[in-house]
Amino acid sequence: MSESQDLSYPPIDPVNFDLIIVGTGLSESIIAAAASAAGKTILHLDPNSFYGSHFASLSFLHLTAYLTSPSPLPAAVTTTDSEDVVVDLLHQPLCSDAEITSYDEYSFLCENSRKFNIDLGGPRALFSADKTIDLLLKSGAAQYLEFKGIDECFVYEANEGLANVPDSRGAIFRDKKLSLKEKNQLMRFFKLVQQHLDDTQEEKISKEDMEIPFVSFLEKMKLPPKIKSILLYAIAMLDYDQDSNEVCKDLLKTKDGINCLAQYSSSVGRFPNAPGALLYPIYGEGELPQAFCRRAAVKGCIYVLRMPVVSLLMDKVTGLYKGVRLASGQDLYSHQLILDPSFTIPSPLSLSPRDFPSERLQLLSQRDIKGIVARGICITRSSIKPGVSNCSVVYPPRSLYPEQMTSIKSLQIGSNLAVCPEGTFILYFSAMCKNADEGKNLLKAAMNALLTLPVSGNTISSVQSDSEDTKPIVLWSALYIQKLIMSKFELISSTSTPDGNLNYNDLLDAAEKLFGQMYPNEEFFPKATSPEDPTDEDDNGVTLDS
Amino acid sequence: MASRRRMLLKVIILGDSGVGKTSLMNQYVNRKFSNQYKATIGADFLTKEVQFEDRLFTLQIWDTAGQERFQSLGVAFYRGADCCVLVYDVNVMKSFDNLNHWREEFLIQASPSDPENFPFVVLGNKIDVDGGNSRVVSEKKAKAWCASKGNIPYFETSAKEGFNVEAAFQCIAKNALKNEPEEEMYLPDTIEVGGGGRQQRSTGCEC
Repeated sequence: MSESQDLSYPPIDPVNFDLIIVGTGLSESIIAAAASAAGKTILHLDPNSFYGSHFASLSFLHLTAYLTSPSPLPAAVTTTDSEDVVVDLLHQPLCSDAEITSYDEYSFLCENSRKFNIDLGGPRALFSADKTIDLLLKSGAAQYLEFKGIDECFVYEANEGLANVPDSRGAIFRDKKLSLKEKNQLMRFFKLVQQHLDDTQEEKISKEDMEIPFVSFLEKMKLPPKIKSILLYAIAMLDYDQDSNEVCKDLLKTKDGINCLAQYSSSVGRFPNAPGALLYPIYGEGELPQAFCRRAAVKGCIYVLRMPVVSLLMDKVTGLYKGVRLASGQDLYSHQLILDPSFTIPSPLSLSPRDFPSERLQLLSQRDIKGIVARGICITRSSIKPGVSNCSVVYPPRSLYPEQMTSIKSLQIGSNLAVCPEGTFILYFSAMCKNADEGKNLLKAAMNALLTLPVSGNTISSVQSDSEDTKPIVLWSALYIQKLIMSKFELISSTSTPDGNLNYNDLLDAAEKLFGQMYPNEEFFPKATSPEDPTDEDDNGVTLDS
Repeated sequence: MASRRRMLLKVIILGDSGVGKTSLMNQYVNRKFSNQYKATIGADFLTKEVQFEDRLFTLQIWDTAGQERFQSLGVAFYRGADCCVLVYDVNVMKSFDNLNHWREEFLIQASPSDPENFPFVVLGNKIDVDGGNSRVVSEKKAKAWCASKGNIPYFETSAKEGFNVEAAFQCIAKNALKNEPEEEMYLPDTIEVGGGGRQQRSTGCEC
């Protein structure tokens, strides 16, 4: 059978839907699953041949191709007389400034390309007790997924290298890098937080203290800089230097800091076989959107991959959205439309009829860009910490160099999570930044602190030794810059891009909010599973429990 | 060590829309058949306990959930399958011609370590239709194709009548069991968040 035959889809039937969604990123997929569960008829499209959009996990060669040559939209099909005003969509890649370097074993990486599932939106993990886990359970998506615990969480300390994040009483006790005094201070602080959270305890943190910056509260508690840094950046996972008023965009209040601590510590040990606070999905983060899409499909959502939307159909008189035109030329209609954030509308509109009310549409061409995040990926042959396969690392502000104003997050994932061939590791890095140069410098400093990026021409094999201090040698690396775009509810809604956080909490909140705006009378995943679901009939949940 | 994962066998059913994938599953697991065809909505996976050589296994049979209609099954669907069932309708030539496509799609997406020996089973369904008079794919032709692809076991079935369905799935279970898991990740320390995590302490540090 020829390739072209494979891709000649039958026309999509029906042609009217409650909702059309373009893009299968995490946010779009969650909304598809939620709206399907609420009984909406949905068509879910993606121009790519894979699920996940900016949240996909790709093979080695696929990732390289994706970062270097993002696929453009096919030319809009100009069909004749339409009752509607046809507005062509623009596709603007979210990722830019890709810098890919191949150091060694390129042919090995190519031959094993399909054994890689590399996250586009990394580093990303879940806290065992965060709302993502609750949503996976509530939506039923959890039954398609398996996770493993991240073995260790580290914080990078200037001149000292990696130190364990002391995230529980036991961890503090075992810690080898903290002094006895520091251990006592931290224990006392944890106890204070625990008392505050415990409803049966009288002793609380004062209301005034709850409203002051967390960093000031930690100072008030007389915690030394090292402990402060661990709490702010490795446990509360803040991006910006909390001590610098000029640069800090995310100054955290004590009450929110306490919540972060609570989430972290209730994550530790939630699942018996996860040693730390973090979980990572087997086969990579791209499994998450696929699980939500399958949930949606089970509830009747129609899926069509490899199908670009090229134009919007707008009502001539009212200027309101009516439908979309596909690359196949077919016109489809829906009450509402969600576009993934890489789509925009050209401004000013060309070719619109003279009296077409285009003002509202113009709004769509203005995207709410909140900032940019630099992302990096390295493939290595050894772990940054001998004996540890999967681990996270946070580099607090100023830990790498004095001008470092944001923290850098990193995650190393090994082959036992089925994301890379045996004997290799993938490391992800991300940092919020002002521009591409600053971002790349941050990531390069973070990489150089723990890894060896060979200078081209060097013979690598001779350098390698078994000494514990030897930094892993990077086989391949990629750096790229991604815009952060917020979701919005408009004439046509759009979802948000992957953010700079390690977990998914903000993305979930945004998706839930957008769902609520679109369907104010519908519950976001009602609790009871619907009785018509045939899988619930006669088995007793073998798949979930063991 | 036999892990929990080993006791659970994942079987996926592939084939063109309308060949009877969901009906076969339902007939096998629930002994039910509905004459009223609608493109699959609401089918996820069905599980059935099977006994084999004194050991109990759980067969987890995954439906395409309708995502095959526009060839939009994601790679997650294929992952970790222990056996792949290819279904066609003996009354529709195109559904038979497409078996090749579905088999190749499986091998690409699932990329099993030993593609030559990965267990497939082929089912020619709907042999009851019109007393067999509307049949366009002969048993001989189907068997020849199966032989050419490394002797894939072949069964002719009627999900409607329940004919040969039990026998076909016994073969499917047996072959799924023979498929050796390849990945080191199937050690018993994977976490399904739906199990085990419920008995949670409410808040606070571990101190």
